[in-house]
Amino acid sequence: MERNPMRRQLASLRKSLFDQGYLDEQFMELEQLQDDANPNFVEEVVTLYYRDSARLILNLDHALERRPLDFSKLDDIGAKKVKAESTLFREYCKSGNAEGCMRTFQQLKKEYATLRKKLETYFQVPFFPPI
Amino acid sequence: MNSSNGNGSMSTASSSGAWDGRDQFPAGLRVLVVDDDPTCLMIFEKMLKTCLYQVTKCNKAETALSVLREHKNGFDIVISDVHMPDMDGFELLKHIDSEMDLPVILISADATKQIVMKGVTYGACDYLIKPVRIETLKNIWQHVVRKKARNTLLEIKY
Repeated sequence: MERNPMRRQLASLRKSLFDQGYLDEQFMELEQLQDDANPNFVEEVVTLYYRDSARLILNLDHALERRPLDFSKLDDIGAKKVKAESTLFREYCKSGNAEGCMRTFQQLKKEYATLRKKLETYFQVPFFPPI
Repeated sequence: MNSSNGNGSMSTASSSGAWDGRDQFPAGLRVLVVDDDPTCLMIFEKMLKTCLYQVTKCNKAETALSVLREHKNGFDIVISDVHMPDMDGFELLKHIDSEMDLPVILISADATKQIVMKGVTYGACDYLIKPVRIETLKNIWQHVVRKKARNTLLEIKY
């Protein structure tokens, strides 16, 4: 019965991600979409999300060296903390607060990297490319 | 339908034949979904398939437009993201409205009142805020029926 302790560990990791607010109902919606036809659906979505958003964040990094960008295109998959930060970022963009933009963006990158690490642990796969 | 790789990419769910299953309605509803975000596109496709709809996805509005033009009467409803590079959802909506008679649902993470207002005034039959829940997608067939009913009424009148 080697799988049981692993399953319990996985379940408690999942629960802690929800308790800490890293994941919300959106993640559950993704889990509900997973079925026999697409047994790795959640993992695929999350992997795709990280590949796509890593590229986006890189572009933003470059753009922020020059000027603030509109953040409305960055979508989230239920990562509550990332969403909170990007709303703040947009507010700073609208009010032309460059320092606020930079600060929020750095915080966002940190949250993003943290969530990514946790999800990589959960899915037991690294998301390429690394940030 | 063929998958094509042009400026954008499009992929079609495999169909066993033309949709004529009136008994199974709304199963088999032919949906075209347009979004430049690959994650959203992937989730939408899965959700729509779970609703038993026939799904075609596009990551560019221009591609969606050529697909619609190539396959007149090949779709029942269009779902499109608002903010896309090059042609956005509003422009796509304008084209569809003038060239064909299809209900268009706009979706966006942008919930600002002005944008929603713009969507509605441009003629979107609905404006959904991301993240969209599958329950909402299960009801989109109503827009198809409503439009058909309205068109039939207009025909009778005139």
